[in-house]
Amino acid sequence: MPTAPVPTPTPDKEDAVTPSFRLPTAAGTPYLFLLPGLVILGALLSVPLYKVVEYSLYDNVIVERNPTFVGLDNYRDILGDPGYWSAGFNTIVFTVGSVIGHMIVGIGLALLVNADIHPRARTFFRSMLVLPWIFTAVVVALNWQLLLNPFGLLNYVLDWLGLITEPLDWLGNPDLAMWSLLVISTWRGYPFIMVSFLSGLQTVPKELYEAAEIDGAGFWHKFWHVTLPQLKPVIFGVALLDLIWTFQLFPLVWLTTGGGPGRATEVLSTLTFRLAFVDFEFARAATVAVSILIISAAFTVLYLRNEARRL
Amino acid sequence: MSRIEISNLVKMYGSHKALHGIDISIQPGEFCVLVGPSGCGKSTTLRMVAGLETISGGEIAIGDRVVNGLRPKERGIAMVFQNYALYPAKTVRGNMAFSLKLSKMPKAEIDRRVNEVAEILELTPLLDRKPAALSGGQRQRVAMGRAIVRDPEVFLFDEPLSNLDAKLRGQMRAEIKRLHQRLENTIIYVTHDQVEAMTLADRIVIMRDGRIEQQGTPDAVFHDPDTVFVAGFMGSPPMNLVDCMVTPGGLRLGGTELACTLPEGLRAGDRVTFGIRPDDIRPAADLPGGVPVTLPVDLIEQLGTEKLVHFRAGPHELIGKTGGRVDLAEGTEQRLAFDMAHAFFFDAETGQRIR
Repeated sequence: MPTAPVPTPTPDKEDAVTPSFRLPTAAGTPYLFLLPGLVILGALLSVPLYKVVEYSLYDNVIVERNPTFVGLDNYRDILGDPGYWSAGFNTIVFTVGSVIGHMIVGIGLALLVNADIHPRARTFFRSMLVLPWIFTAVVVALNWQLLLNPFGLLNYVLDWLGLITEPLDWLGNPDLAMWSLLVISTWRGYPFIMVSFLSGLQTVPKELYEAAEIDGAGFWHKFWHVTLPQLKPVIFGVALLDLIWTFQLFPLVWLTTGGGPGRATEVLSTLTFRLAFVDFEFARAATVAVSILIISAAFTVLYLRNEARRL
Repeated sequence: MSRIEISNLVKMYGSHKALHGIDISIQPGEFCVLVGPSGCGKSTTLRMVAGLETISGGEIAIGDRVVNGLRPKERGIAMVFQNYALYPAKTVRGNMAFSLKLSKMPKAEIDRRVNEVAEILELTPLLDRKPAALSGGQRQRVAMGRAIVRDPEVFLFDEPLSNLDAKLRGQMRAEIKRLHQRLENTIIYVTHDQVEAMTLADRIVIMRDGRIEQQGTPDAVFHDPDTVFVAGFMGSPPMNLVDCMVTPGGLRLGGTELACTLPEGLRAGDRVTFGIRPDDIRPAADLPGGVPVTLPVDLIEQLGTEKLVHFRAGPHELIGKTGGRVDLAEGTEQRLAFDMAHAFFFDAETGQRIR
């Protein structure tokens, strides 16, 4: 009896390319590669984070071998301390002031260095204007101290111009210290904003400006109706990021005013440092640190949501 | 409606001369199309009229004003861009009203104008949408609406249809033509598409390498080209252009003798560029008065109502036409006829027409 030919099964594509060696769980492979990174991150981030939160729930941590668990007592203490509230207020002033300063100077300079000038001049200005960003905070602080010192360059120039009769102590006068700090922080922080806006500006189609010009728009109308709407997503994201960074900024404040004079420029980050390493009140320092963490986390969630919406 | 006078217009980019002294005189209400290959200077000319490029030499007058030193908004022009250039953050209404708001027109008048133009362009249901929510054709109409509401003296179009698909391009072309008939404004329109130029223009200006090759009515530039470039540029499929040797009785086309009367001044042994449109090469039976030649058919392209017949004459490939129903086979020898009454001859060196 003739038999019907049996069709030879063709190997499906996957079989054809599967290597002879196979990891036991193919789906888990990516996680194996992630493991070293996760371990390092975990050790460097999660452990200290956990420790700080733990410290905030104990009294006499670090200085005593057996600290006592006090629950939320430290938080109650901190919230009842006027020093904490004044540092909180200063932090808001410093953060909001710095972010506004960064934004205005950053956008202004981005517009300038985006202008249609000789390419060599443009490269020169772009490089020069990024400089404040690449110095370490120590160098920035020292330079500004030299400039703002009662016998420093700024007072000398103001005196020479006849604008002041006696030298001003820019960083030592409680009425001037925060303003001076804001100027330093603006100088230090604008380059990131400028670079971000510059990249945003370069994506604005040239035709939009030309159309606006034909429609009769001048500089401000073009800025308001073309540039700003195109930059809006960048502005919001960058402002939030800047807010997160500035909110917990420590070295610049500590190295210029040290939070002083008195408590005039004390912000939450310098308060944390002072409580921990000057007063050796590690538990209270940890508590303030946790409060910074909570607020920063809230901003971060906002930032991530904004980025997700943009994508 | 304004007259536009462009005289001896020169554009320099550093030491590179992009425009070599252009002269165009556009009558009030005329639809003038600048056409030519990429880099020929057509867009530069338009942008100089708009005031978006500086003028290196010469003069542009709109109406009775020389506009060389005027800013774009002072020139009485409106422009439609290739990429539409709609303000993405504004609605259709906001886009159309923007220039009127800047000119401080009363709100009631702005609304009246925007609504009226939206009605003409069938944009009324889209007035509150943002450009991102519109199709390419709709965006194009908004860009035109934005130009029309201003009621300018002159419309400038910079390749406005090149981002649309073929079908939509055809529709929009007709719409622009209708709009011109209705508004009767002076228009300068830039395109690299010679079909657009032929269908829209009252006057076609054909440019090449920063110079005008020829200008005139679509009929004139198509049927009476001055240079071999114009002959080859206008028309699709393009005119057949072949370098030939003049013989005592006509031309030698590949190995074939083509008996014809040549312009005076051409002598046996001269080299000429011989031009003939595909429409003027047909099967001998279709063209009784033509000069018959037997040549091998290389390829046939069926277009529906007609067929393009590619055939070889020695080293040259030529294209002829026949009806869509005519039965021809590739690879066979066919008896074709050339309508030499519509043949053109150009100087093989300079490309200038020999009449």
